[in-house]
Amino acid sequence: MTNERLHHTGKVVRNFLLALWALFALFPIFWMVLITFKSDAEMFTTTFAFHPTLENYQAVLFGTNYFKAFLDNIIVSSGAVLVSVLAGVPAAYALARFEFKKKEDLAFTILSFKFAPEILVILPLFMIYQKLGIYDTYFGLIWVYQLITMPLLVWVVRGYFEDISVEIEQAARLDGYRWWEIFYKMLLPLIKPGLVSSALLAFIFAWNSFTFPLLLTSFNVETVTVASLKYIASDTVHYGQMAVAATVAALPEVILALLIQKHLVRGLSFGAVKG
Amino acid sequence: MAQIELNNLTKTYKSHSALKSVDLTVKDKEFLVLFGPAGAGKTTTLKMIAGLEFPDEGLVKINGEIVNIVPPANRNVSMVFENYALYPHLSVYDNIASPMRSSLYRESEEYIKEAILKVTAKMKIDHLLERLPSQLSNGQRQRVALGRCLVRKPNVFLMDEPLAHLDAKLRHFMRAELKEMQASFDTTTIYVTHDYMEALSLGDRIAIINQGEIVQIGTGEELFYTPCNQFVAGLMGEPEINIIPGEIIRDGANVRVKLARQNQLYELPEDVADFFRGNSIEQVNLGVRGNDVSCSSERTSTKSIKGTVYVLEPIGNRSILTADVEGQKIRIIVSNSYDVDMDSTIYVDMDFSDIIFFDRESEEFLIRHNQESLVKEGANG
Amino acid sequence: MADLILENVFKRYDNNKKSKVLNDYAVNNLSLHCNEGEFIGILGPSGCGKTTTLRMIAGLEDITGGDISIGDIRLNNLEPKDRHIGLAFEDYALYPPLNVYDNIAFNLRAKKVSEEIIDEKIKKIAPLLKVDDLLKEKPISLSGGQKQRVNIARAIVREPKLLLLDEPLSHLDGKMRQVLRDEIKRLHREIKCTTIIVTHDQLEAMSLSDRMAIMKDGVLQQFGTPLEIYDDPANEFVAGFIGEPPMNLLTVTIVKEGEGFLFQFAEKNMKISVPERYNKVLKDGMKVRLGVRPTDVLIGTKKSPGSDVEVSVFESLGEERRLHFRVGEEFLTLITTEKIFYRPGDRVKLEFLSEKTHLFDMESGDKIRTE
Repeated sequence: MTNERLHHTGKVVRNFLLALWALFALFPIFWMVLITFKSDAEMFTTTFAFHPTLENYQAVLFGTNYFKAFLDNIIVSSGAVLVSVLAGVPAAYALARFEFKKKEDLAFTILSFKFAPEILVILPLFMIYQKLGIYDTYFGLIWVYQLITMPLLVWVVRGYFEDISVEIEQAARLDGYRWWEIFYKMLLPLIKPGLVSSALLAFIFAWNSFTFPLLLTSFNVETVTVASLKYIASDTVHYGQMAVAATVAALPEVILALLIQKHLVRGLSFGAVKG
Repeated sequence: MAQIELNNLTKTYKSHSALKSVDLTVKDKEFLVLFGPAGAGKTTTLKMIAGLEFPDEGLVKINGEIVNIVPPANRNVSMVFENYALYPHLSVYDNIASPMRSSLYRESEEYIKEAILKVTAKMKIDHLLERLPSQLSNGQRQRVALGRCLVRKPNVFLMDEPLAHLDAKLRHFMRAELKEMQASFDTTTIYVTHDYMEALSLGDRIAIINQGEIVQIGTGEELFYTPCNQFVAGLMGEPEINIIPGEIIRDGANVRVKLARQNQLYELPEDVADFFRGNSIEQVNLGVRGNDVSCSSERTSTKSIKGTVYVLEPIGNRSILTADVEGQKIRIIVSNSYDVDMDSTIYVDMDFSDIIFFDRESEEFLIRHNQESLVKEGANG
Repeated sequence: MADLILENVFKRYDNNKKSKVLNDYAVNNLSLHCNEGEFIGILGPSGCGKTTTLRMIAGLEDITGGDISIGDIRLNNLEPKDRHIGLAFEDYALYPPLNVYDNIAFNLRAKKVSEEIIDEKIKKIAPLLKVDDLLKEKPISLSGGQKQRVNIARAIVREPKLLLLDEPLSHLDGKMRQVLRDEIKRLHREIKCTTIIVTHDQLEAMSLSDRMAIMKDGVLQQFGTPLEIYDDPANEFVAGFIGEPPMNLLTVTIVKEGEGFLFQFAEKNMKISVPERYNKVLKDGMKVRLGVRPTDVLIGTKKSPGSDVEVSVFESLGEERRLHFRVGEEFLTLITTEKIFYRPGDRVKLEFLSEKTHLFDMESGDKIRTE
């Protein structure tokens, strides 16, 4: 049947285009991994044929305080997500359930935190942080990260709460449960997909943040994104070492993304209660 | 013992008033049906008894005790919600177990298991215990919701249109199932519906509510045979009761009725005539149900009313013939094999012993023939 | 003659390629012959292919196989606009910026009909649908019932050869539905245009149509007058689908007793006599599906054959009374308008109205005929 053949050809073309796109998207990562194994000498003189070496790894992982930066990044990113969850879930619940004046304005304000370019607000923030004495502290960075993590979490989780019919809560109240039991036993399991996926996405955004840690921290707290800059020396750029820093920094994200990709798509695109 | 009392319940949402001074007493172990059109305030009343809504004014009493400020959890009421409100993440078993696992009403797991097996066997959902609500059909979900309600021993069962979302066929059977179980409830029950058949079938008493006000309370027979006004009469029965304007003509002791735009005078049953001798009401409306009207294409008596066939609709076991009498539409139930051409002449006969008389002005009930015996007859059933 | 004829019409959607099942047709070998001026109802559960059929007639869907013609004209390859068909959908889809008059006139103007003729036509149609007072209104100020009237007026103003109605009443509330149903019926008598209505509401189909077609899974189950279908369903599906409240459909075993037979129900000690006319086609021990409408179950006398059965539920519903008898997981229901009263636990004998008792084959569901 011509129809069948058409269908088949369509499939081939589609797969080819997808492969092309994958190649395009993955090439920078491939290139980055490739140059981690090149010495500075071979950096610009070779493409694929070179003498692989681990000296970049040695230099970065053992020669600098890269581990500290890595740890700092984990602390501030997970700290930011934790604060967002603790403050954002109740906020999302209130936005979903209660009627109060200027509700939509408030919800939009929270979302709008993500609109302004970070560079726009960084200067006043820098001055404020200096005055408050939270410049270059974990607390300061976790606080400013709320601009990144909170809007996402509030909006996704609010949608989940809105999907849960209010009667489910009322039924649980009549069953004899206290409000915290209702939250823990009935609501939390229902918002879990949204909560987990938005928290992980928020974590990734916080992890990748560059402008805030660059300008609001210096020696005490240092994230990997900022640490990668160190390999630009005054005379030369150590591309190999920089690539190592970037590769190691990307690892948690890649692992996370692979682990949760199924839930990520579902969690962000589906509602809580599917009948 | 659980008697529910509502005193002067009033609730206003923004500018729209949902309940206007509702007074209602539900006796212990009574099955009371709250019946009325959409938006009448039925669900609001139910939620106030549950404590999920708060009245602006008035008292809610359970067993004589004012519970206005008692939180819902402590009122010990059990409710079926219109949308079932099953917990989507819990299995059927856990859903039904939920009220017995809360800190307030905790029971031992053995007790729970036994209770669930008993109630699910009765509801015929015992083969579904492991399933999640999303894996159930609508009819099954409805039975799970009922099961979760009935598994408890509360002060009162509150049921909010539990059959409304089922298709007509399932509803017919589930009503029978519910009626069969009813005998074993042994608990005060308030049941909300907008389906007159459910109300008549299930209710020990029926409270009719419209626009936030209780219109009439009584047994099914009382409401069906002696509706307190035209609105109530119109709620009961399909097709809707025909309302025909008429006039009482008094000629000495002789009291007769004349239909609007007709010249013929009709004799009234003696008890009805007696009633009109005792007052001077002239303008009335006659309420007559489609079953109590007959028609034929030949004039059968001098009393027949001439009209034309407006439309004839077969609907299965019977047909509904709409006759046009001088612009007044009269719906008549005829046999499904009855055939007649549209716009042909037809003669309509009414049995005056089945007619309900309403005041034209106030639309209130006046009288019908044999009203005591009709209502009493029902009390046996 | 301008009858609408569907001959062996098939429809298959391409997107369900993966299922290689034989019966993946949305419409499967459908043949219908609708006489000119007839009102035809197409009825079935959702997904039975009724809307697809309508859309193929209208030209909104390709026809996979078979022919659709009006009189001698084959429609298959005609553009929708050349088919002379009036369509009224479930949602009204009126043009919001235009008033009712302009909405009705829209299609005529598109065809460059002169304004005088348009005016004349609208003046004729508007009173028929009781929209003559609304001609200046904008759609937004109309009620659902009024919108649907305008919608139908728009469909018939072109004087179509065929009027297609797709669930025209399903958005309306009960009372409005009844009123519009009456009016559509009267309108049809007035304009005498061949009309097809697609609906899932059996009351609508039965009350409106001269003949109706029952479909299931793309296959025509039965085509006949509403009364024919109600009184003589071709198979178990039709029997269960048509009728409100539904027909009692129960599995029974035939047992011989003396000269005649008895139905034995799932409750072993419940036996009711089989109408004599089935004697020739039944054997002892045979299993069949029994179908009998609740109104055709009668309370018998002491002398009736069979066992007495226990009333499980008694309902008094004003005009009628319903008795339900427990049969395993199901009920056997009896409906009567007589003023009788029973209590649960009372025992009565039952009989079935002979010519209204239907038997269906356990496997195929087809009706077992006596001749």
